[in-house]
Amino acid sequence: MLDPLQATLRVGASGLEAQSRRLRVIAENMANAHSTGRTPGADPYARRVITFESQLDEAANANIVRVVSIEQPRTTFRVEHMPGHPAADANGYVRLPNVDLVVEAADMREANRSYEANLQAIRQAREMITMTLDLLRTT
Amino acid sequence: MIDPITPSATAVRSPATAGGVDLTTVRTGLVAGSAETGVDFSTMLTQLSSRAAGVVRNAESVSIAGIQGTATVQQVVEAVMAAEHTLQGAIAIRDKVVAAYLELSRMQI
Repeated sequence: MLDPLQATLRVGASGLEAQSRRLRVIAENMANAHSTGRTPGADPYARRVITFESQLDEAANANIVRVVSIEQPRTTFRVEHMPGHPAADANGYVRLPNVDLVVEAADMREANRSYEANLQAIRQAREMITMTLDLLRTT
Repeated sequence: MIDPITPSATAVRSPATAGGVDLTTVRTGLVAGSAETGVDFSTMLTQLSSRAAGVVRNAESVSIAGIQGTATVQQVVEAVMAAEHTLQGAIAIRDKVVAAYLELSRMQI
């Protein structure tokens, strides 16, 4: 695909896909913000972080974005004193997920803005293609 | 696909002629285009329309995959938009060609 405007559409679509997968990971983190283990001392849900990288798309001859990995960063779990909980250890402490809802909300807002920016790029390329084709129609 | 229009179009687009159309570039482009014309007009149109049909067919299959849930919304929109642009381009070119033929038929003999 040699047309740079068509390539813009392809790049924008890859951005949309990347950001929607990011939103999925954020939603998983938020939904599992209180998911503990079931046995004493078991690990709770670990927060996941998505990473992206640039990749040359051969067909479009442009750098698209793709998801590299969805990793679990090594941060400590929160600990709360809840005796009687199935996951409580011998001293009555339960390990809770390392999910901070404020961080997730900020991340979600960023994913939303990035999605909007990619949509705008697609919209712009589409408008430019249509404008150019209109040259054939009106003259 | 060899069509005589493309060389002149690239000549118009080339950065050396930013201030206006450089006539020498256009002329050499046209000469080069006519020298290597081996494909007739109807073959070119057939190739163009078969490619357009392929893009539209792809958009259809991706749309169906989207309804079935195997393709993402973004993929469906991308494929349908590609089909839309191809169709618009094909229609615009067809209108131009038909207008040219009509113009010929109106010629005084």
